[in-house]
Amino acid sequence: MTVPIECRQDETFVLNLGPQHPATHGVLRVKLTLDGEYIVEAEPVLGYIHRMHEKMAEDRNFAQFMPNTARMDYLHALAFNHGYCLVVERAAGIEVPERAEYIRVITVELNRLISHILWWAAFLLDLGGFTPLLYAFDDREQVLDLLERVTGSRLTYCYFRFGGVYNDIDDEFITGTYAFIKRLRSRMPTQYHALVTGNIILQKRLKGIGIITEEQSRRYGCTGPVARGSGINYDIRKNEPYSVYPEFDFDVPVYHECDSMARYMVRMDEMEQSMRIIEQALDKLPDGPVKAKVPKILKPAEGDYWASVETARGNLGHRLVCDGKKNPYKLKLRSPTFCNLSCFAEVSEGMLLADALAFMGSLDLVIPEIDR
Amino acid sequence: MSIVEETRIALLEMFPEFAAADAAARAAADKIDDEMETMIDEMDSIEPATEGDAPAGGDDEVEAAEPAEAATEPVPEPEEPEEEGPRENGVMLTDHAARGTDIDVLCAPDQVVQAARIMDESGFFLEAITGVDWIKDDKLEVIYDYNQYGQEQCRVVVRTLIPRSEPEIPTISDVMPSANWHERETHDFYGIKFIGHPHLIPILLPEDADFHPLLKDFKP
Amino acid sequence: MGTENVPSSIVQFAQLDKLLYLCRANSLWPMTFGLACCAIEMMSTGGSRFDISRFGAEVFRPSPRQADVMIVAGTITKKMELAVKTLYDQMSEPKWVIAMGNCAICGGPFKCKNNYNVVEGADKIMPVDVYIPGCPPRPEALLEGIMTLEEKLTGSRRWPRIQPEKIGSLT
Repeated sequence: MTVPIECRQDETFVLNLGPQHPATHGVLRVKLTLDGEYIVEAEPVLGYIHRMHEKMAEDRNFAQFMPNTARMDYLHALAFNHGYCLVVERAAGIEVPERAEYIRVITVELNRLISHILWWAAFLLDLGGFTPLLYAFDDREQVLDLLERVTGSRLTYCYFRFGGVYNDIDDEFITGTYAFIKRLRSRMPTQYHALVTGNIILQKRLKGIGIITEEQSRRYGCTGPVARGSGINYDIRKNEPYSVYPEFDFDVPVYHECDSMARYMVRMDEMEQSMRIIEQALDKLPDGPVKAKVPKILKPAEGDYWASVETARGNLGHRLVCDGKKNPYKLKLRSPTFCNLSCFAEVSEGMLLADALAFMGSLDLVIPEIDR
Repeated sequence: MSIVEETRIALLEMFPEFAAADAAARAAADKIDDEMETMIDEMDSIEPATEGDAPAGGDDEVEAAEPAEAATEPVPEPEEPEEEGPRENGVMLTDHAARGTDIDVLCAPDQVVQAARIMDESGFFLEAITGVDWIKDDKLEVIYDYNQYGQEQCRVVVRTLIPRSEPEIPTISDVMPSANWHERETHDFYGIKFIGHPHLIPILLPEDADFHPLLKDFKP
Repeated sequence: MGTENVPSSIVQFAQLDKLLYLCRANSLWPMTFGLACCAIEMMSTGGSRFDISRFGAEVFRPSPRQADVMIVAGTITKKMELAVKTLYDQMSEPKWVIAMGNCAICGGPFKCKNNYNVVEGADKIMPVDVYIPGCPPRPEALLEGIMTLEEKLTGSRRWPRIQPEKIGSLT
């Protein structure tokens, strides 16, 4: 896409978007070269919330790094817990009891639900609609109550342990979760879809905006809803199954329109799929211990290991290099939004400034996860 | 043929000295397979015959790769790669359940661009680039992770070692645009210079940063 | 950083000042300024359950020129430091700062060995009026922080403080 000829002017100017801007969801800064309202060049400037997670991993032992994982992607903190647990469990050869795996899946999916709900609220806030935020936070608080009950915190969970989870779930959590799913299912068509999805203003602002083609998506390494909105059927839960995901029946929503609306629809459909997974997991929940016996200080064998999980934003990878000591020799975090955002410069070229903000919102950015 | 095997063959292009041997081994394996098939056709009891006649080893690796591995001597066994001295350049299959990767390639620093090109042509995407500081060996390791969107899992890791005193490596950002940011990040953390990179300025650290925090001898 | 001494004017309007501060305390306009995790809890506070507008502080302003109180919600890094300082300087007097969360108080979990990028506390770069501990603090804690700031402005507390031993008797 380029600037239409009739709109071309001879001079351009530079506009700094951020680092303090409500639409950038934190402290992202984008250096925009504008020709009138059209973007000639966009350059995201990162690092305003780089918090040294990779350095801290090298200085701490395996268990001590656990709280850090939740502070990277605070919206889907449990998936980051899960990813880190998976790679350490792979390195140390720890088996996880089945009940713990089920609890992990239930809590991760609940967390994915509220991550998408919050994205929905914030995205619409970017587009100028304030009311959805109030509805969304109402739903979100219900899940936070449930999760707080088992994990002990509202946002930055540190619930998973190597070889299981910290706390068993109880009957109140189970009935509460069923009740919440019933409630959200009843609100989905009216509150979410009738109020917002079908809204003509929303459709006009999203359809055909921010087209990431399948090839672009591959070259920039996009994953998660961004890739699925570009017609790529790729979900780590299906393609590289981990935990007990193979035991559940769920679909991977894929849209081929490649625009912001497609990414919006992928997330809306994913919420339904998460609810399906939670229901099945609760139905099949086995009895047993929730934590394997694991030594306090882990010393995995030398070598390097990789583990990927599907977070609400895409493929989160951990590369762990061990040298046989009690702390990681090196821990690389492959964060999904870092790659998803890297296509922003190419895609936003020639876009209207207002459209670029809608496009940026549809990428679902969480800045501390990009900067790590 | 599985995607892992296809990719392995594609990657062997980088190592012509092994590729010929590998092709020969594969031809031999195919021949054995054909012979076996004919034998199997002739015989009534299939199970014991296959077990008895199967060529070398009974590992959990991809079956078609087995004879090839046996034939190409320089490719180390997947189980204990670090057994005798440093690993030699080459393509190695790894166990996905244990390592999380399927193919592990060690190559010379100037071969990474070729590797990226092969991966790009095979439809892979770049997952991450990172470095590891092996301060005891006075070396920096640069690791490229590739993955693909297919339903079959195949994760490829390409690694190379460069001297710590002169950390330079050619860029792959003209092959894979996503490498642009990953290389800038690796430059931030390890000070590795990616020769030919269009815009090698700090990405996560402050604009004027002149330190490389993930080096093991870094002191704030 | 030491305390900032703002010289008082020669002519004092005691009753008028009191009235002004009462007005200010009941309509604190915070700045929309999320840095990290705490920003989400700040949003929750503005959301439907906790409803910060009960205390007149729901008018989140993106521009520092229109805001009275800066809620530093998150970690300040070396790269961000200058921007935070600029935003604080741009706010018009009278202005207050709430340091929300452990990162803004002292660096929190990121105050570690080999710290190369995190500023250990908002009070290193500007005067802070109220500190709210937590990682992240609950929305109730932020509300309490706002009430504490009100108390600082008016000298009296709007709601009686509930003593921990009384909570048991209430339920």
